[in-house]
Amino acid sequence: MSQDCRSRFAVALSRRRFIAGGACLPLALASGRASGTEAPGLRFGLTPVFLNNDIQLLDALKVYLEAATGHSVELVTRRTYQEVTSLLVSGQLDAAWICGYPYIQYRDDLELVAIPAWNGKPYYQSYLIVAEGREAKDILDLRGDIHAFSDPDSNSGFLVTRTLMFEHGLVPDVFFRKTLFTYGHRNVIRAVASNLAQSGSVDGYVWEVMLELEPDLVSQTRVLRRSKWLGFPPIATSRAMAGTARTKVLQKALVEMAANPQGREVLDLLRLTGFEMPREAAYDGIADMVARLRGVL
Amino acid sequence: MTARIGLRRLPLIWRVPLAVSVLMFLVSAVITERVLDRLGSIQETYLQSIANSYLDGVTASISPSVLREDSWEIYDALERLRPVNTAIVPLETIVTTPSRVILAATDPREYPSLEQMDDLQSGLFPDRQIRIESDDGLAYLERDIVYQDTTIGRIYTIFDARQLLAERRDVLSTLILTNAALTVLLVLVGILTVRRMIRPMQTLENHMIEAAEGKATRIDVSQQAPGNSETRRLFMAYNSLLDADEERRELSTRLAEEEKLASLGRLSSVMAHEINNPLGGLLNAVDTLKKHGANAGVRDASLDLLHRGLQGIGDVVRAALATYRPARQSRPLSLSDFHDAKMLLSPELRSRGQVLELLLETGEGLACGCPSGPVRQAVINLLLNASAASPQGADLFLRAARQDDGVVVEVGDRGPGLPARAVRLLTGPARRNLPEGKGLGLWVVRQIIDEIGAGLELATRPGGGSIVRIRLGPGTIGEIGHAA
Repeated sequence: MSQDCRSRFAVALSRRRFIAGGACLPLALASGRASGTEAPGLRFGLTPVFLNNDIQLLDALKVYLEAATGHSVELVTRRTYQEVTSLLVSGQLDAAWICGYPYIQYRDDLELVAIPAWNGKPYYQSYLIVAEGREAKDILDLRGDIHAFSDPDSNSGFLVTRTLMFEHGLVPDVFFRKTLFTYGHRNVIRAVASNLAQSGSVDGYVWEVMLELEPDLVSQTRVLRRSKWLGFPPIATSRAMAGTARTKVLQKALVEMAANPQGREVLDLLRLTGFEMPREAAYDGIADMVARLRGVL
Repeated sequence: MTARIGLRRLPLIWRVPLAVSVLMFLVSAVITERVLDRLGSIQETYLQSIANSYLDGVTASISPSVLREDSWEIYDALERLRPVNTAIVPLETIVTTPSRVILAATDPREYPSLEQMDDLQSGLFPDRQIRIESDDGLAYLERDIVYQDTTIGRIYTIFDARQLLAERRDVLSTLILTNAALTVLLVLVGILTVRRMIRPMQTLENHMIEAAEGKATRIDVSQQAPGNSETRRLFMAYNSLLDADEERRELSTRLAEEEKLASLGRLSSVMAHEINNPLGGLLNAVDTLKKHGANAGVRDASLDLLHRGLQGIGDVVRAALATYRPARQSRPLSLSDFHDAKMLLSPELRSRGQVLELLLETGEGLACGCPSGPVRQAVINLLLNASAASPQGADLFLRAARQDDGVVVEVGDRGPGLPARAVRLLTGPARRNLPEGKGLGLWVVRQIIDEIGAGLELATRPGGGSIVRIRLGPGTIGEIGHAA
């Protein structure tokens, strides 16, 4: 679920200026559990990749959130997104930046806080990519490939392609010679560019932004197929936390980020235009796919 | 062979530096080979340790992924673990299953995942030991990936060893340059040293060459070798040699003169005998004239006898005079010289019952500008030698003939052939010193031949015996002009 976010961090890891993972930043704002009279801090976790490699973004985000919410902010890191999702669902985090697919999976336990906007819209696409120069027209030409997925919990890096194959009556382990999970959208691009994998499923937002940031790498791949527009990975909180003052402060801070110079700086690093108030309908497309694959996965 | 001869002909001043340079070349070749060999093994050890530490890190990192055959994790680890801050970088790393199915490689285009690594590729990698290929500057190493005592995969790495090879080339060129510079330096030092060392030898050589040309001079020891005792001793020894040679030459001249006088004495006795022989007859004729002088027939016969007897005595005396006439009274060689020689030899021949045939094939005359004295002396000596060498009753000959521009004089005997010593004496290298023992007569002949610049040849006489041939050519020194 938070896998999309993780893969975006992988982008950020190589580029300080850019937090590709912004869209699904597993920024878990944990409910303060500090004892005593001190105001409880907001806790959110980030992937180690993110922490180690983009201090600039991290600092900027922390500074902005502390200033905008009035709370101290603690960064909580876990090794996997699965752990972050678990923390979120169990109410140990105030909020988390997760992907659309886990959001739909845990819809009953989660509440949306905000949706990032890319180019002014809360939507993105999944890309099916192959090596530049390869003469393939559609997914049927990819038979026998080593295919790179991003993560089994990823919408754009797994679910979309898996649904497409389902529609064609294809089974990944039979149709492809081998499938890989690279646990990062940037890694999918690297795998395809290096020819370790002959094709891959990747977040379109990551691919487009990386084309700008790392043209040498990304131009070694080309987009074979673009999916329909799907809801951008959202910021969510647990249903138990929904509607609390802390969550509302956080929501306000996110939605007003674009109007704040400090927030603008963070958004520039993420190549986002801002955060919007949640719209459940944005995730209908993903929900539809999950419904169709029910019983298959 | 010719090179060796050529080398020997090379002056010492070049030979020694050449030997030094050859020696230096050999020494530097050996040193270079040793240094490069040692450097090579040091580099190999160095490379091996770098490779080992790299592979230790990679292996530890990827082992779980290899177990899961997770190509991406392996690839990602290989990318992350690629050393950047070292001169020795792995160009390619390939991870396979134990059965050599490629799991991941740093260059998946070259080594696609799930493909079998072919024997040609895997054959480049020696087992565990690193191998440096000097052609392409690459080093190959293979290692098993062992997890809990089980081989779960293999890792192949190609390192860029070009920098090491470049270092080796640098060392080689430095060694070559240094050795070349040292060799040139040593050769120069060698030339100067040898030149200095052999300077006394050259002085000695020059003096010896002069001596051989008959212009021997003493070496000024005090000037040429004022301090060096070795050279000084050498020069002094040479001077002593020169003195001894001079003394011997004087002795030889004296002995030759004595020999001449000795043969003169012998011939004088012969001459006395020749005079004495008719003398009895002549005295008888005088007595007869005294007693029967009135008888015209007896008188005429006695006078005729007296005339012939005195004429014979006169001939003998004239011949002797002509032979031993001093050089300043010399005259050109003429046919009478050969007649005289025969006559002077006749008592010797008669006593041995030998016959001398005089063959004069000279046409109208000799027309040779050669001096008669030395030639007569030489011919008489040869005839005496021929007579002595030939058995009783042998037939000898003396032949004079015109040939080309000069005259050839031949003396033939019936002897057993000239002994090797006599041949050496006559035709060998010139010897100014007297031979030991016999052969004084032939030595005198040789001296005369050399003095007048005539040629001398030996031949075998048909029917047994030897022929000694003297060639008097236009080059023969004529002393007549001076004598006149």
